[in-house]
Amino acid sequence: MIKKIASAALVVGSLFAVTGCASSAPSESSTAAVQEASLTFADGWVRVSEFSDHTGGMTGVFATITNSSAKDVTLVGGSAEIANVVEVHEVVMLDGEMKMQAKDGGIVIPAGESVTLEPGGLHVMLMGLKKPILDGDMITVTLDFEGADSQTFTWPAKASLSGDEEYHSNH
Amino acid sequence: MSKISRRDVLVGSVSAGAAASISAVTGAILAENQTKEALKAIQVAHATAVRDASVPFFGPHQSGIELELQSFTNFIAFDLDPSTDLAAFRRWMALLTDDISRLVRGKPVLADAQPQLAMGPARLTATVGISPEFFGKLGIERLKPSNFNQVPSFKIDDLKDEFSLGDVLLHVSADDPIVLSHAVRALIRDSLAFGQVRWSQQGFSNAQGVVPGGVRQRNLMGQVDGTENPAFGSSDFDRIVWIDVDSAEQPWTVGGTQMVLRRIRMNLDTWDKLGRVDKEMIIGRDLTVGAPLGKAKETDVPDFAARRPNGLLEIPAFAHIRHAHPQNPLERFFRRPFNFEVGVSPSGSPDVGLLWAAYARDLANQYLPVQERLAKVDVLNLWTTPIGSSVWFILPGVSGPDQILGQSLLEAAERA
Repeated sequence: MIKKIASAALVVGSLFAVTGCASSAPSESSTAAVQEASLTFADGWVRVSEFSDHTGGMTGVFATITNSSAKDVTLVGGSAEIANVVEVHEVVMLDGEMKMQAKDGGIVIPAGESVTLEPGGLHVMLMGLKKPILDGDMITVTLDFEGADSQTFTWPAKASLSGDEEYHSNH
Repeated sequence: MSKISRRDVLVGSVSAGAAASISAVTGAILAENQTKEALKAIQVAHATAVRDASVPFFGPHQSGIELELQSFTNFIAFDLDPSTDLAAFRRWMALLTDDISRLVRGKPVLADAQPQLAMGPARLTATVGISPEFFGKLGIERLKPSNFNQVPSFKIDDLKDEFSLGDVLLHVSADDPIVLSHAVRALIRDSLAFGQVRWSQQGFSNAQGVVPGGVRQRNLMGQVDGTENPAFGSSDFDRIVWIDVDSAEQPWTVGGTQMVLRRIRMNLDTWDKLGRVDKEMIIGRDLTVGAPLGKAKETDVPDFAARRPNGLLEIPAFAHIRHAHPQNPLERFFRRPFNFEVGVSPSGSPDVGLLWAAYARDLANQYLPVQERLAKVDVLNLWTTPIGSSVWFILPGVSGPDQILGQSLLEAAERA
């Protein structure tokens, strides 16, 4: 009897699998998987704004980082051909204003979790731009981690209407 | 769902251990419940089939052409900013390529302001074209195919600037209007660094599940539109629409095609005064099934010489199909028209018509002779007026994730 019920459940289960497959979205081809299979990066982009359209300017880098390993990994900084300085930043409320500051200790991506770098929140900052960043530029950035190897990506630059508050802070 | 199954199995095994007779009953009920759950899941999948259907983006040709009509469409033309040069055009196409490759999978674009609206692919396609004027503005006149030019103006035309010309075309269609609206918003936003919107023209065809395929729909005059189109996937279609190595005057154009978009206003008030017989004689087709007059089926070949017992031509000399019909084997193109309806006047006259889109390798030789004939002699011109006109070179397809829209054109521009 147990066997019979179990096999009935199995049939139902595989039916779900079939319908689930038909309705589920295709896999993320934009995702870059790390060889060690611990970190996955998706939806990386670099922001274009009036702060990035000139030499000496600055801008943010955003992406979703997923840590599928069993240990925490920390994003501590990075480097980019186009910028003199690459830092890990956070946006905090200071004296009733949203301000951006370097994040002490980096951004921790806990084991088995995802962290999204986004305008108005955690992000990687490119500072001291050596040339303007324009809409549609492809920007190469290397991200450095504690607990994982550095990774280099080329991500598109584009404008975004949201998250402007970060640029009003003092650097 | 798997949670429910696991719990059900657990309950099942407990009862089996307690008493075999009870467990048999429980098992039967259980199996029935699980079947119901499975059926429900299938019903849900069925109910969201329109949302989940997708059209591949990568391939030798852009999508949105050799494809059954989607229900909703938006044609958006841009004027290039004076500062937009070839390098900027490359950056624009890089952004659009990334955006479109996500939207067709039902995914938000990068930095999407409303990612919640990317509810599913809903057969979204976004097709990019460039105009004859584009080549001159970017200093690459030598790369313009010599047969690619604006349609000359005809006496029947009453063309409006707000529906005509432009430099770059974005043609976006989907089976869901919210999915379409979201995609159009994202694609326009990522285009504003390079150009300004010159016009946008929205249209529609039938909802999914209303008519069988074949790019045939009823236009708002009641006629079946799209009869005699080449079949999808046929060598006929390839030969009529897609530019190949042999037919390409410019090597960069291989995989592309030419498109003409005519906004044709219908005067339904005067059309509606006609009786069915008059309407059928003006078109040359039966209104019920779309058969040529004197024939039985839509797909029957018209017999232009056939006469009725009284000696009159079955298909009158003035009939639309007599002049629209190819007079030599070259005169064939692929039509993919949508309807438009913008509003209604206080006296009840609707602003309706066709966003008449047609595709051909060579509009000058395949389409223009037909259009010239119709402009001169087609009696249907009494009830229709072209109020917008533009032609577009549809860029070749994007072969893979490391390529962008316009790649072959940009490479040719660099070499020259």
